Amino acid sequence: MTGITGHNIFCGLGFGSDEVYSRIRAGESDLGLHDSGFALPEPFYASLVQRDEIERRFAGLPDTCQMTAFEKAMVLSAADAVAMSGIDPSAEDTLFVLSSTKGNVELLESGMERPDGRMSIWSSARRLASFFGNPNEPVCVSNACTSGICAQIAAFRAISSGKFRNAVVVGADFLSRFVVSGFQSLKALSSERCRPFALHRKGLNLSEAVASIVLSSDTAGIGISLEGGAIRNDATHISAPSRTASGQIAAINAVLEGKPGFDLAFVNLHGTATLYNDSMESVALHTCGLDTLPAVSYKSIFGHTLGAAGVVETIVSALSMLEGVVFPTPGYGENGVPYELSLSDRFRKISGTGFLKVMSGFGGVNAATLYKLIR
Amino acid sequence: MKLLSEYSFVPSPENVDELYRSLGMSYPKFFKMDLMSKASLLAAERVLLSAGLRSDETKPDMAVVLVNSTSSAIDDIEFQKTISKESFFPSPSLFVYTLPNVACAEIAIRNRIMGETSFYLRSSYSEDFLFKAAGWAFSDPSCRKVLCGWTECLTDTPLCRMMLLERDI
Amino acid sequence: MESLSYQLKEQIIDALNLKGMTPSDIDGDVPLFGDQGLGLDSIDALELIVILEKNYAIKLTDPAKSKDILKSVNSMVSYIEANGKF
Repeated sequence: MTGITGHNIFCGLGFGSDEVYSRIRAGESDLGLHDSGFALPEPFYASLVQRDEIERRFAGLPDTCQMTAFEKAMVLSAADAVAMSGIDPSAEDTLFVLSSTKGNVELLESGMERPDGRMSIWSSARRLASFFGNPNEPVCVSNACTSGICAQIAAFRAISSGKFRNAVVVGADFLSRFVVSGFQSLKALSSERCRPFALHRKGLNLSEAVASIVLSSDTAGIGISLEGGAIRNDATHISAPSRTASGQIAAINAVLEGKPGFDLAFVNLHGTATLYNDSMESVALHTCGLDTLPAVSYKSIFGHTLGAAGVVETIVSALSMLEGVVFPTPGYGENGVPYELSLSDRFRKISGTGFLKVMSGFGGVNAATLYKLIR
Repeated sequence: MKLLSEYSFVPSPENVDELYRSLGMSYPKFFKMDLMSKASLLAAERVLLSAGLRSDETKPDMAVVLVNSTSSAIDDIEFQKTISKESFFPSPSLFVYTLPNVACAEIAIRNRIMGETSFYLRSSYSEDFLFKAAGWAFSDPSCRKVLCGWTECLTDTPLCRMMLLERDI
Repeated sequence: MESLSYQLKEQIIDALNLKGMTPSDIDGDVPLFGDQGLGLDSIDALELIVILEKNYAIKLTDPAKSKDILKSVNSMVSYIEANGKF
């Protein structure tokens, strides 16, 4: 058994999973319009991590390698999750796994022609691991928007191989002129709060977050175990999902295979609120016979936090599973996908002993992970 | 795991064009790709041909695992040039290649590979890590073959090395 | 407006990396998307929008409307003539 033993979310709503969870439980969201952010010509809808909050929390901690705000936020998040888990982060059998799509890409704004070591994601991961005195080369996963659960899958496999007892999975992405303008050029952003699966959805909201999960062998931890995961490509297009949802269907079937009678309580969808992603997910769930299962997307609460999304959303799903509820999907009104899913605008009590998490991303990649409630 | 075939070359804009011609390929999409995708796709083409596998056969049991050091930095730098304060016209076709795993997708699309695709970053070339990452892909019970490679176009020692590995039965 | 059409074709070839093509290879009336003609995809469409913005000061925001404008080189030329600066 691989259990979640520690976790942290650091986002625009606050620091620490408990604080963030209680605020979203009360219906709060930090999504809002940012005018002239990153000196961009067009406003964008997002939630940002306060940079002065990072510095305030980091003050007094040793910074021997002049970390960027992005790296300091990762250290703070990982430290909180590690403290909760009680593991030794410097042990040889502890592995750090980083999920990030763009890392320190903001450094490019200083006009560098060749990237130096600072910009590389692996070097951010090294700074993170070395802060904790960990001797292992960290694993860095870059699988677009699915990275957050692909990193958990990598951690799960590393633990299953027997070499590691604990893995600290950190998902982190900050916004920048680079990232926001890129999504603007793809016409993928909504100018208002996003509305997953809704008829009038207009695209996604980008956001920032750093989140950490500690996975440990032979324990149920907080009472949620990671049962496994699967990654599948739909081999259709580099930026658009397959209309037949072939990759997502294959990932879901693979993760549920060999688990007859697994009592799913709900499914946490990717639900970015783009036209094609949400339609694809509805086709996938319908084909897998899961369209009546309670479903939720957190994108209209947190926005799409890119490399952090899979970690943030797993934590919220785990905490809501422990509480016995499934979250509402704010902004969902009239169904706008080919097969209507079981989404709601209010909290629902759930029965069942596990949840499914699915994500999909650029590069045709689809991923699914399965979690079980251990009493 | 068993090594079925492998191919290495030094990726550069000239070398990939040369290799494309020598393979006699007709794949118009190739010219739209970034250097890393071109290099990875051609190395994959070589390796799959050597193993007698056709590009038009669906491969549900094959995974693509790529690793490099600088991620998509070449494209990151190019995209950054399109968003300067003086001339702000962000290029969508450049932006999509600022995700390194798109190189996995180009290989998967060309060769109808429907298994896992994963991209990892590492400080420098490590054969141990390539085999470890391939091993992770094999831990998925449906995976029979892994196209596994190091694909680095930007450092002082550019190298594209692709291997086709098969699960031990 | 032969010259505008020619210039636009050059810009398309350049922006979309249509290697080996010359403006005379592109038929102004043939659909740019789909199986005929150039067989462009959704990212190419977005890149065409950038061409219009960058070179002709045209901002397309309504995707449904863009579809008709981006149908062919000639439809783009007509739109530029009516709405653009060139």
